[in-house]
Amino acid sequence: MIFFENLIHILYFVMAGLVAFSMLKSLFKRKKNQGVVFDIMYAYCLIPFLLRVLYIK
Amino acid sequence: MTTTTLTLILLIIMIAAFVLSSIKLKSPDISMAVAAVVLAIAGTIAVPALGSPVRYLVEGLFVNLDLALLFIAASIFVNIYSHSGAIAAITRMVVEKINNKWILLSIMGIMMLIPGALTGAGSVAIFVLGGLVNTVLEYLGISKKKRTVFICFFAMLSAACPPINLWTMLMTAQANMPYVGFTWLLLIPIVIAGAFTIIFIGWGAKPQSKEETLAKFPPKDPKLTWWRIVLPFVAIIALFLLALYDPWGLPVLGLPLMFLIAALVALLCNPKKTTAKQYLGILDDTMEQVFPLVANVLSIGVLQSAMAATGVRGLIGSTCVGLPLVLIYSLILVVGPICQGCFNYGVSIVLGGPLIFMFNTLGMDVTVICAALSLIFPLGDTLPPSRIVGRLACEETGYKESYIGFFKTLLIPMLVLGLMAVIMIIKPAAFAFLY
Repeated sequence: MIFFENLIHILYFVMAGLVAFSMLKSLFKRKKNQGVVFDIMYAYCLIPFLLRVLYIK
Repeated sequence: MTTTTLTLILLIIMIAAFVLSSIKLKSPDISMAVAAVVLAIAGTIAVPALGSPVRYLVEGLFVNLDLALLFIAASIFVNIYSHSGAIAAITRMVVEKINNKWILLSIMGIMMLIPGALTGAGSVAIFVLGGLVNTVLEYLGISKKKRTVFICFFAMLSAACPPINLWTMLMTAQANMPYVGFTWLLLIPIVIAGAFTIIFIGWGAKPQSKEETLAKFPPKDPKLTWWRIVLPFVAIIALFLLALYDPWGLPVLGLPLMFLIAALVALLCNPKKTTAKQYLGILDDTMEQVFPLVANVLSIGVLQSAMAATGVRGLIGSTCVGLPLVLIYSLILVVGPICQGCFNYGVSIVLGGPLIFMFNTLGMDVTVICAALSLIFPLGDTLPPSRIVGRLACEETGYKESYIGFFKTLLIPMLVLGLMAVIMIIKPAAFAFLY
């Protein structure tokens, strides 16, 4: 059970990493949600996912 | 200057920043973040002991991070499942087999409830089923305005529908209450309001030719067998039930991971030849589709954190606690949805939490009251500045006429649900048998 709990913990980091990568990609290139306002929103929404992946918070 | 006066000034600064930003940037999500930044800076200027405002902003981004992950994972599941053609196949089968208008409308209503009930977001129900439900309602001879009302109202109901009601979740988390016992308290008013809406929308409608309607659906894939359609849903429901009834026999997966496992099952059950590149395309589209919701919950977290740090949240809470009960009963149906239109899910924290504490001090049944508030707040999803669900429903049906005209028609089923919720707030003990 401890092994599975650790695995799930790691999976959530992987998930945060994938979301961060996807948002980073969308920050520069996307089909919908165009405009400077969305650029800013993508930039600040990226912060928690990046901090999680980098193990800072 | 007293603490109350100082906090009141900070509240005015926050509201001014929010209003100006909403007018200038036309986005409630970024406006909430701007209001939070202004509030945090003003707070630290007024009370230097608070420290750096950046700390509150970054901490705030983590408040609803799990919710954001849940939105993303659930939308990935729903979109992969939809890509396999399963949802279209179910709808086609329903139209082919069922001739009764009322049964067909009921099935459409129930289907609309499922995506929102699983994800907690009414907009997901519109993204996934809005188009198909619109086609079926068109076949039933229902006008465009009424079709928009049906889709919009059921999307709002689906967001409030258990098992995942985000307003309840946020309020219970704030009040240290368990998220238990809400199923029937939420479901029964939703079923009553839904049944009323079905009668209201379907009254007088005359169905069109069935063949013409079926021609609008994507062609049926012979490889899409019944088990391929059912298995992804069985997987997610099995995981829900296991987590609920055998919590010690299963590691804590969390809702986002459950949805990703179900998405994997949906992917394996997909009969269409889909390349890895196509799946990546679906993931990219999903991220873009769900991003406004992710930005919304993250912005709310930032605002919550700034409001808590500067004492603004406490001021609103203590003011609510001090209001006479009659005033709360009379105004909740107006103030609740308006706050929802401004703060979206943040209304549960700004208004819901303090109200729960207030009713608790009066010795009233807060489980029933929490459920009732969770039925009132979603009604604001059609109100400005955000009006997410209303806007999406209009886009889905191509409704281009006056928004006020659409809203007036929508107001009738909204009032039915709202009045039921107000009765629940006034007499919570009478509904305690439901949990």
